Amino acid sequence: MIARTARFACSLFVALMLACPAGAEEPPMLQPDVAAGKLPPLAGRLPNPPLVVDLKRPNWTQGAYGGEMRMLMAKDRDIRMMVVYGYSRLAGYDEQLRIVPDILEKIVNEGSRVFTLHLRRGHKWSDGQPFTAADFRYYWEDVVNNKELSPFGLPQALMVRNRGPRFEVLNDTTMRYSWDEPNPQFLAALAGPSPLYIYRPAHYMRSFHAKYIGLAKANAQAIVAGSRSWAGLHQKKDEQYRFDNPDLPTLEPWMNTTPLPSTRFVLVRNPYFHRVDASGRQLPYIDRVTVAISEEKLIPAKAGAGDIDLQARYLRFDNYTFLKQNEKRNKYRVQLWEKALGSQIALYPNLNVDDPHWRRLMRDVRFRRSLSLAINRHEINEVVYFGLGKESSNTVLQRSPLYRPEFREAWIGFNLKAANALLDELGLAKRDANGLRLLPDGRPMEVVVDTSGESTEETDVLELVRDSWRKIGIALFSRPSQREVFRKRVYSGKSMMSVWTGLDNGIPTPEMSPRELSPTAQEQLQWPMWGQYYENNRKGGQAPDMAEAIELVELYDAWRVSASDAEREKIWLRMLDIHAQQVFTIGVVTRALQPVVVSNALRNVPTEGIYSWDPGAYFGLYHPDTFWFDPKGRR
Amino acid sequence: MLRYVINRVLLMIPTLIAISIIVFLIIQLPPGNYLESYIAELQAQGESVDPQKIAFLRKEYGLDKPMVEQYLYWAWGMLHGDFGYSFEFNLPVSKVIGDRMLLTIIVSGITIVFTWAVAFPIAIYSATHQYSWGDYGLSLLGFLGIAIPNFMLALVMMYLANVWFETSIGGLMDPEFVGKPWTWPKARSVLEHSWIPVIIISAHSTAGMIRRLRANLLDELQKQYVVTARAKGLPPRKVLYKYPLRMALNFFVSDIGSILPHIISGTEITAVVLSLPTAGPMLLNALKSQDMYLAGSFLMFLALMIVVGVLVSDLALMALDPRIRLQGGVTR
Repeated sequence: MIARTARFACSLFVALMLACPAGAEEPPMLQPDVAAGKLPPLAGRLPNPPLVVDLKRPNWTQGAYGGEMRMLMAKDRDIRMMVVYGYSRLAGYDEQLRIVPDILEKIVNEGSRVFTLHLRRGHKWSDGQPFTAADFRYYWEDVVNNKELSPFGLPQALMVRNRGPRFEVLNDTTMRYSWDEPNPQFLAALAGPSPLYIYRPAHYMRSFHAKYIGLAKANAQAIVAGSRSWAGLHQKKDEQYRFDNPDLPTLEPWMNTTPLPSTRFVLVRNPYFHRVDASGRQLPYIDRVTVAISEEKLIPAKAGAGDIDLQARYLRFDNYTFLKQNEKRNKYRVQLWEKALGSQIALYPNLNVDDPHWRRLMRDVRFRRSLSLAINRHEINEVVYFGLGKESSNTVLQRSPLYRPEFREAWIGFNLKAANALLDELGLAKRDANGLRLLPDGRPMEVVVDTSGESTEETDVLELVRDSWRKIGIALFSRPSQREVFRKRVYSGKSMMSVWTGLDNGIPTPEMSPRELSPTAQEQLQWPMWGQYYENNRKGGQAPDMAEAIELVELYDAWRVSASDAEREKIWLRMLDIHAQQVFTIGVVTRALQPVVVSNALRNVPTEGIYSWDPGAYFGLYHPDTFWFDPKGRR
Repeated sequence: MLRYVINRVLLMIPTLIAISIIVFLIIQLPPGNYLESYIAELQAQGESVDPQKIAFLRKEYGLDKPMVEQYLYWAWGMLHGDFGYSFEFNLPVSKVIGDRMLLTIIVSGITIVFTWAVAFPIAIYSATHQYSWGDYGLSLLGFLGIAIPNFMLALVMMYLANVWFETSIGGLMDPEFVGKPWTWPKARSVLEHSWIPVIIISAHSTAGMIRRLRANLLDELQKQYVVTARAKGLPPRKVLYKYPLRMALNFFVSDIGSILPHIISGTEITAVVLSLPTAGPMLLNALKSQDMYLAGSFLMFLALMIVVGVLVSDLALMALDPRIRLQGGVTR
C-alpha cells in the first residue's frame, strides 16, 4: 500500500499547533483529571503526529464534546461489536474502500513482499504506557511463535505457501515484515473488522506469561483464576477483540469498563486516543457509550420506543414500518443503509450431495441454469421486497469496481421455455401423471430445499419459486430445521439444496481476497466437501473433480501470490465470470436494506451508507468517533 | 421416623446421579457443541472465525475429549464445588451466576410473599361468600390471571407503560447501579423497580392459589364439625381460622416442594421479556448456545432444589397432619 503523505502537511500543522501553549481545548470530561495532575495535558497524550480526521462527506461537521450514546445488544459477548464500531486499526478502509494507515503513521509496501510499518511517535495505550515496537516483538516472539500459546502455528494471513514472514525491528517505532513471495492478504487482514492483531500490550500481558514470571508462578495463578494452564489464562486475558477484559489496555476510541457478565456495559473515552479533528481537538466527541443487553427479539421494540441513540444490529427490514411509525414520537430517524451481500437470498445446489443421480444433475451446468431461468425474480421482488430490491444473480454489487452488468444479468431472465428445453436436453423429458419430470431411475424430480428456519422471508421466497419450478416439472419442498442441524445436513451431503444469503462481501476491490469464490471452507453450501478439503490443508473432505472448480482453486492460489492490482483484477474478473456462467449459486434479489435507527440529536451519521462486515466494520467505516450530540436536538 | 429420613436422604444420591447423567445427555443431544454453535452464530452475522483460535479453544475447553470423560470431569468437579467453566462468558460458572442468583432470590422471594398476601384474603373471602357478586368478580379475575400467559401480560404492560407514561419497564434497577456493589440506594432502587415484575410474575400463581384454596376451604366448610362448631355458638372468625382453614392448608405445604426450584428459576420467559437480570434468561441462553457446564450446573442445582423441596414438604406434611401415615411398615 502507498504511504499517505497527503495528510502529512495537515499533520505537521497540527503538530505545530500542539507545540504552542494555546493548544486545542481539552475534552471537558478529562479536565478535572488533567487539572488534578492525574492525566498529562493533551499534548502529552497525543502521538506526534496524531491522525487528523477531516471527512469530506456532505453535512459532516466538527462536533461538540460530551454525551452518552446508548446502544442495545442481545448477548454479553456482543460487547466485541464496540471494537468493530471503534475501528481503530493499524490500517483501515476509508469510505472509498482504500486501505489507509490509521494507528500507523505510514506503511511502505514493496511489491506486497516487504511491508515496513511506521508507528506514530509517542503513541500510548489507554493506560498511558507507550505503544512501541516492543509490543510487536512480544506478539511475534512470545505469542505466535510460542508452542503453548499457538500450538497451530501462524495465522493464515501471515502464511504464504506455508512460509511465515521474517520479522525485524528497525527501531523503536519501525517494524518490517518480509515474505519471499507477495502476500496481498496482509493489509486486508490488518484492516479487518476482526483484525489480525500483530501486537499486544506487552507490559500488561507479560504478567501472565511463563517466560517472564516463571512457569510455576504462571501456572499457579492460572489455576487460581480457573484456567487449566498459564496458556489458557494468557489467552483469556489477551482478548483485544472480545473486549471482555477491562484491564487490558486498548487503542480503541472507547474503552470497556465493565467485566462480564453484565446487563449494561459502560465504555468511556480513551484519553490517549490517537485521532484529532481538524482543529486539533482529540476524538472521540462522545464521552460514553452504554450498551444494554436485552432479548434479541425485543430490540426492535425497544429501538422503536426510543431507548437507543444508534442501532442497526438485530433490526431487520421487516421492522422498518414499525420503526418508521414511531419516528416522530420518540424523536429518532430511520435510515436505510445498503447491505453488502451479493444476494439477499440465494439457492445453493449441493454439488456434493450423497444421492448419485442428483449429484450428477447438480454438477451439470445446464441443470443449474434451467433452475435459475425458472425463477420469476421480478415477482419475488415485488411481493416480498416491496419492489425495493434488484433482480440479480449472486455476484458483486454495482458499488464494486469489479462489477460488470453481464455478471448480474447472467441466466436471470424468467424464461420457462429455455429452462424446459435445457431439461429436455438433459434427458429428463419423461414425466409422471402429475406432470413431474422423472429422474433416470424413475423417481419424480422433487427438490428438497433445506432452510435454517430462522426467517419467514426464506420460506416466502421459496413458496414463489415453487410455483414457477412446478411449471418446468420440478417439485420443490422446503425443509426448515434449526441452524446446526441445517449445516450438518449440508456438510454431510444429506441436503440436495439449501437457501442462505449470497456472497458476504459484495463490494470487493481487487486487493480483497476472492476466497469466497473458490472452494476454501466447509461453510460454502454449494461445495461443502471441496471446501473442507482445502480448509484442512488438502486432508479430509473431497478433492474437487470438476474442471471449473479446479480452475477457481488455481485462480485463488494465483491471487494469493499476486504482486500487482492489475493482475488481481484480472483474476477476480475471471473468477466472477466463471461463477456467472456456471451458476454455482442461484441468486434471487440483491440490494438488501438495513434499517438504522439514529437519534435526532446524533450528528455526522451518514444518511446513506453501506452496512457491511468486511470491508466496513458496520459503523466503523463512518468514523463513530466523530459522531456527536447536538445539545439543541436533544429531546 | 429417623430411619425414614435417613433412607430418603440416601435415596437422593442415586437420584441425583441419574439426573446428572440425564441432564448431561440432554444438553449434548442436539448436534454440535458450543464451539460449533458459536461459529454458526458468528457466520450468520457475517463474521469470520479464525480456525486456529477455534482449534485452540476446543483443546482448552476439553471438547475434543470423549463424552464420558467430559461428564466425569464435570461430575468430579461438582463434588468439589467446582461447577465448571462457562464458555460463553469465559469465566467459572460460579462467578457468572453469583450476582444474578441474589437478584433472582430477591425477586422470587418478594413474589412469593406477594402471592400469599394477595391470595389468602381473596380466597377466604370467596369461599365464605360463595356465589356472591364479590365471589363472581374475584373468580373472573382469577380465571383471567390463570388464562393470560405471564409473558403476554408483560408485553401488554410494557406497551401501555411506554405509550401512556413514556417509560420503559424492564431491568431491575436504575442504570447507574448496574454492576456496582450493593449499597442502600441500590437496594432501594431494586425495590422500586421490582413491583412491576412481581405483579406480572405472581399473576398466574396468585390466581391458581386463590382457586385451590377456595375449593379446599369450601370442602371443609361443608363438613359436619363446622356445622357443630357453629351450632355451639363459636364466633364465626374462630370457626373459620381454627379448623377449616388449617385443614385446607395441606396443599399449601405440599407446594413447598415446587416453590424451592421456583425461587431460583420459574419465570424464564417473563424475565426474558422484561429483561430482568435474573437467572432464568441466563439458563435459557446457556441451553441455546450449548454452554454445557453453565446449563448443566444450573439444571443440577434446580434438580437438587426439587429433591430437597419434596423431602421438606413430605416431612412437614407428616408433622402437620396426623392423618398422613407412612406406608411400608414404618410406625411411630
